[in-house]
Amino acid sequence: MALSAAASVLVGLALVVLIVAVTSQRDAAQTASRSQEALAAGTQLENSLITIENGLRAYVASAQERLLVPVREALRQYPRQQRALARLASPDVAQRRRVSRIAEDIKHYIDFWARSIIGLARSNIERARSQLLTNDERQRRLEPISVEFAALYQREREVITTRQDDAKQSSARAQTFGIGALAFVLAVVVGFTLYLRRSIVRPVLTVAEATGRLAAGELHTRVPEEREDELGDLAHGFNAMADSLARGRAELERSNAELTRSNAELEQFASVTSHDLQAPLTTISMYAELLERRRGAERDGEPDLVDGIRDATQQARALIRDLLEYSRAGRGELSLEEVPGAVVVGEALERLTGTIEQTGAQVDVGDLPVVLADRANLCRVFQNLVGNAVKFNREGKPKVRIEAKRDNGLWRFSVRDNGIGMNPEHIQRIFQPFQRLHGEEEYPGTGIGLAVCERIIDQHGGRIWVSSSRGEGSVFYFTLPGTEQAEKVATQALKQPGRAREE
Amino acid sequence: MTLLRAIGVAILAALAVGLGACGGDDTATTTATTTATAPTPSSTPIRIGTKDFPEQFILGELYGQALEAEGFDVELTPDIGSSEIIHQALGNGALDMYPEYIGVLLSEVANNTMRPSSSDAAYRLAQKYEERRGFTLLTPTPFSDSNALAVTPAFARRKGVRSIADLRRLSPRPRIAAPKEFRSRYEGLVGLKDIYSVRRLRFLPLADRRYAALDSGRADVALVFTTDSQLVGDKYVVLADPRGLFASGHVAPIISKKALAAHGRGLRKAIDAVSAKLTTVAMRMMNRAVVVGRRTPGEVARQFLRAQGLL
Repeated sequence: MALSAAASVLVGLALVVLIVAVTSQRDAAQTASRSQEALAAGTQLENSLITIENGLRAYVASAQERLLVPVREALRQYPRQQRALARLASPDVAQRRRVSRIAEDIKHYIDFWARSIIGLARSNIERARSQLLTNDERQRRLEPISVEFAALYQREREVITTRQDDAKQSSARAQTFGIGALAFVLAVVVGFTLYLRRSIVRPVLTVAEATGRLAAGELHTRVPEEREDELGDLAHGFNAMADSLARGRAELERSNAELTRSNAELEQFASVTSHDLQAPLTTISMYAELLERRRGAERDGEPDLVDGIRDATQQARALIRDLLEYSRAGRGELSLEEVPGAVVVGEALERLTGTIEQTGAQVDVGDLPVVLADRANLCRVFQNLVGNAVKFNREGKPKVRIEAKRDNGLWRFSVRDNGIGMNPEHIQRIFQPFQRLHGEEEYPGTGIGLAVCERIIDQHGGRIWVSSSRGEGSVFYFTLPGTEQAEKVATQALKQPGRAREE
Repeated sequence: MTLLRAIGVAILAALAVGLGACGGDDTATTTATTTATAPTPSSTPIRIGTKDFPEQFILGELYGQALEAEGFDVELTPDIGSSEIIHQALGNGALDMYPEYIGVLLSEVANNTMRPSSSDAAYRLAQKYEERRGFTLLTPTPFSDSNALAVTPAFARRKGVRSIADLRRLSPRPRIAAPKEFRSRYEGLVGLKDIYSVRRLRFLPLADRRYAALDSGRADVALVFTTDSQLVGDKYVVLADPRGLFASGHVAPIISKKALAAHGRGLRKAIDAVSAKLTTVAMRMMNRAVVVGRRTPGEVARQFLRAQGLL
C-alpha cells in the first residue's frame, strides 16, 4: 500500500513538474515573442526618427514642401510607436529607464530641433541650412538616442536568449525528473509484482502442484504452513485434506485387505468343504449302490428308499462340484493368450454336443475376433451361456446365435436365444450363485453357471449382463478388453476373404 | 568699480569653498523640478531653455534655481541649440522662456541689419519685435556679452592687425573659427562682408574649443564672447569693431506673455532680481569656474545665488 501510494505521489509530482515546465516554456515563448515585438516597435520608432531627420535635411536643402510629407507622417506616427515600445519593453528597471530616456531624448529632438528647423526653414531657409551644415547636430541629437536604442535592443535580445535558455533548462530538468520518476514507478511496479509473485502466486502454485501430486496418488504430499493469512489457511486446509485422504485410503486398504483375507478364507473354506464333502458323499453313494445290488432281487420295479438316497447323493455331489467350480473361478493366475473366438466357441459346442443333439438345437456362430483371454475360462463362459440357451427352451427347437461387435474399444460378445426369457425384475438375481428362477424338476441345474461366468469375465476386466423379457428369449452380453495386439490379430482375421464383417 | 570688485571677491570666495567641497549633484543636462513652497497662481511648470554653450547653461541654472527658490515649478532644458533653433522652439510653444543676447536677437532672429545706436535703442527694437510675437523681453542684465573677433598677439603683431577691417587685406586668407551658424549670420560672415567688406576668409566651423584652435594655429581668428574668461589677461587680442558689427551683448530673458499672465507678477520680479546681479565680472568668474574649473553650471549658479542672498 505504502509503495503504491508513493508511486502515485511520484507520478503526480512528475505530472506537476511537466505542467510547470510546459507553462514556463509557454511563458518563455510569450516573453520572447513580446521582446521580439519590442524590438520591432523600437526599430519602427528609430526609423521614424531617421525619416524625420532625413526629411528635414532634404526639405531644407531643396525647399520643396512635398519632402515634408514623410516627416509629418513620421511626426504623427512616433507617439504611437513610442507607447508601443513602452508597453512591450521588458519590465526590468534598467530597461524602463532606457525607454524613459529614449522618450525624453526624442521629445527633445522633436520639440527643440525638428519642429524648430521646419519653422526656421520657412522663415529663413539659409539659416536653416547653416544649422544643418555639419553633422555635429545629427551626432549630438540622434547618436545618444541610437546608443540608447542599441542598449535597449541588446537587453531585449538578452531577455529572449535568457528565456529560451531557461525554457531549455527547465524542459531538460522536467524530462530528467519525469524519466527518473517513471523509472522509479516502473521499479516499484516490478518490485510489487515480484512481491506478489513471491508472496501470493508462488504459494498458490505450490498448493496447485501439491494438489496435482495428491490427485496422482502421492498422498504423503504436504505444503508448508508458514503464513498467518488466507494463504496460510489454504495450505492448512490442503494439508488437512491430504491427511484425511491418507487416513481414508489407509482405512480403505485395511478394509480391502480384510475383505480379501475374508474372501480368501471363505473360498478356502468352500473349496476345502467342497473337496472334503466329496469323499463322504462318494462313500454314501457307494453304500447306496451296494445296498441296491444286495436288494436288487427283492425289488419289484417300484422306486424305493435307496433310489432316494442315490438321487439325493448325486444332487449333493453336483452341488458340491459346482460350488467347487465357483470357488475356483476367478482365483489364481489367468493364462492369457491370443485366442480365436471361433476356436473357443467350437470347443464349447463340442462339449455340449450331447445336449445340442438331444434338443435338436441350432447354434449359429458369426465372425468372431481373436481376443487376449484365458482359453479354458473363456471356453467355460461360452459353454455355460450356450448350455443355458439350449436348456431354457420349452417349445420347438432352440436357436442360438453367437456373434461379436466392437464397442468403445472393447469386443462385445452376444449369445442370443429364443428361449423362455425372464421377467426384468429377475435379471439382477440370475448372476448370484445358486439363484434359480425355476424348480429343479422343471429345469435341472444348481444355479452356479452364470455366477461363474461373471467371475471369469470380471477377472478379465470385462462386464456381463443380460437383456431379456419373458417369453421372448434372452441375449447375454459380455465384453473383453481389446488389446493392441488382439486388435491387430482381429483386424487381420476380419480381412480374410470369405468372412463377412458383422459391424 | 568698487562694487564689482566686491562681488568678484565674494564669488571667488564662494567658488573656493565650493571647489573644496566638490562633488555637486547638478549637471548641465539635468532637468530641475521642485515642489512649490510658496503660493503661486499656477502649478504648470515654467519651461526654461538655454542655448548650447556654457554661459547659457549658467544663466539657465541661475534663473531656474532662483525661481524654484521662490516656489515656482521649473522645467529646465539646457543645450537646445543656436538662437535660430531655440527661438523657433519658443515660437512653437515648446518653451516659455530663454535668455537671449539682444544683439543676436536683433540681427539673427529679427533679421535687423541696422546697427542700433545704443544698448537702449537695441533693447527697444528687440522688445518691439517680441511684443508682436506674443513674447516680452524682461529687464536686461548689467553685463554685456557681445560677440567679438580675437586673434593671438603674435598674429596681430605679425600681420599688423588691430581692427576687424584689417582682415580685409590679409594674404593668405585668414582662417576663422566660429560656430556653424556664423556662416549665415549677419553677426557673422554676412555682416563682415556687408560692413567691413571682409570676403576672403576660410571658415572653420567649431562649436567650442575655439581658443584652443587659436593656440594650436589651426585658426587665425576666432569668434569669442566678451565675457569669456580666457580674455582675462593679454593672452588674446580682441579686434576693434569701430563700425559696430557686433551689437549689444546684454542678455534679456524672453518670456511668453501667457506664462507671465499665468504666474503673476512674482515671476517677473524673481527673474529681474537675478538679472540685476549679473555683472560682467560675475559672469566672467562663473564662466571661468565652469570652463576652466570644471564645475557644474548648477553648482556655480547655486553658490552665486547664495552669495547674493537669492537662495
